[in-house]
Amino acid sequence: MALVRTYRALLLAGFQQMAQYRIQSLLWMLFAIIRPVIFLAAWVAIATAQGGAVSGYTVGDFAAYYVCLAWVTQLVMAWNSQEFEWEVNQGRLSAKLLRPLHPIHYSIVDNIVYKVTTLPVLAVILIVISVAFGAHYQTQPWHVVVFVPSIILAAALFFVFGYIVASLAFWATRMRTANTLWQRASFVFAGQIAPVALMPVWLQAMAYGLPFWYMQGAPTEILQGTATPERAAFILVGQVAWLIVCYAVFRVVWRRGVRAYSAVGA
Amino acid sequence: MSDAVVHVRGLEKIYKVHERETGVGATVRSFFKRKFKDVPAVGGIDLDIERSEVVGFLGPNGAGKTTTLKVLSGLLYPTGGDATVLGYTPWKREYAFLRRIALLMGNRTQLVWDIPAADSFLVLKQIYGISDADFKSRLDGLIELLELGPLIHKPVRQLSLGERMKVEFAAGLLHGPEVVFLDEPTLGLDVSMQARIRRFVSELNKRTGATILLTSHYMDDIVALCKRVIVIHHGKLLYDGALADLAERMAPYKVVGATLRDGAARADLSRYGEVVSNDGAGRVKLRVPRAEAPARTARLVADLGDALADLSLEDPPIEDVIDRVFSGEKLQAVAS
Repeated sequence: MALVRTYRALLLAGFQQMAQYRIQSLLWMLFAIIRPVIFLAAWVAIATAQGGAVSGYTVGDFAAYYVCLAWVTQLVMAWNSQEFEWEVNQGRLSAKLLRPLHPIHYSIVDNIVYKVTTLPVLAVILIVISVAFGAHYQTQPWHVVVFVPSIILAAALFFVFGYIVASLAFWATRMRTANTLWQRASFVFAGQIAPVALMPVWLQAMAYGLPFWYMQGAPTEILQGTATPERAAFILVGQVAWLIVCYAVFRVVWRRGVRAYSAVGA
Repeated sequence: MSDAVVHVRGLEKIYKVHERETGVGATVRSFFKRKFKDVPAVGGIDLDIERSEVVGFLGPNGAGKTTTLKVLSGLLYPTGGDATVLGYTPWKREYAFLRRIALLMGNRTQLVWDIPAADSFLVLKQIYGISDADFKSRLDGLIELLELGPLIHKPVRQLSLGERMKVEFAAGLLHGPEVVFLDEPTLGLDVSMQARIRRFVSELNKRTGATILLTSHYMDDIVALCKRVIVIHHGKLLYDGALADLAERMAPYKVVGATLRDGAARADLSRYGEVVSNDGAGRVKLRVPRAEAPARTARLVADLGDALADLSLEDPPIEDVIDRVFSGEKLQAVAS
């Protein structure tokens, strides 16, 4: 109960704070969906030039995929790794470490606040894109049911992975390169540049062996309705496995990182 | 097991610092092999602080004061030694421990900048699990003591430095900590705000019985608040005892103030002691060895006779003592 009350108070303060930066929040949201929209436009152009489809993906399929990817990106995206570097380098983490609440909770709350405040605008934009490109969804009711645990697992995986990257700030003054590496890996392996199913087999194999696809591409396939029951089961198992691995790594990295923390600047 | 609220034995903290020479070669080499240097910040100090004591922690920049406070509040892991605060090992950062201590660091903000402090206080109330009654009474007390009334409803970023400091204090003390570590609480504040913060800290100690360990570069803070001081330098403890005894223990000299009548202003008094100042109008200050002070003063009186209008024999100002200690001049390490 105490944690629920704490979350309620943090959420309230978070919404008050977010109200001060409405324009910035909207710009961040637009930044997050601009990439899927660019890729959608590119694939639509290619598909149209090739007679309406690429490897069986029609314009409507691409539209459905990228609209779903934008939804998924919005729901899983967390900025904790970037913010954490700033907090460590500025010594702002110190105040949080000295309170009887794990610093991860502040990030979770910030994340929820960001999503809730930007979701309505995103919904309008994506509906417009959906209609404009004639998105073709194959989603069955069971896809929606499976999507719920899948997106929660994806968001948790993204968040914990982000915290592992963030924790590098305990040792490295600048860890933006680690963030950039993660973004570039996601570019290919998370299904941003193209649906993984359209990639060469060896690249698909790599994507299935890395965590990035389970964060974005996999739940996108479920929401879009292209995943078979077997593939959905494969996705959920992969997400659970990666979440367990990442959480274990996070625990070790965090414990060691806090020991190495030099509280510079505060 | 000691009964002291803060119990420290052989505490050490060594920072590993990346070191590199200048030049292209050194830069290239540092890509492949990094050289690290051990920088000892705290070099094995012992101290005990009893409940409700207000202790001043003195030392120049880099002496290890802040590092010690950070270790004792649980922010840093020590390299060696042992410490307990309220019976807890600080760096384990148990929530039961964190609810009973506070580390307040100068102008470092703990509050959310974009919302009024009153809203941040409500968040802290839930984080620390403060009851409604305690929250109200403590907040009322802090508002009264710090004159916070109109400030807590303004967004924090609109407050001046001094105002922000005051609400920071309130935020850090809402949970009623039994041990408070104060690092440079008056840094950057104007004289009037410094005095107000001093009064507040003194009142806090009286009202709540909180144990306070305080660092400050302003001797006025220390003189106003602390009966006991701990002096550290290069991470080593130089002195631990009464502020009143510090000059006697650390400075091997006293100051003779002589006021001379007309005509004697240019008299050479250097044979009685080291002339510290001579304003040319008859007021002269001499530094004399502590052990010889009575004899030299007596000789001065006898030699000058009626030319002497006034005479005083005092301990040197505490700032001078500290300055001489930290600059290594006539250093007498008398840690006890």
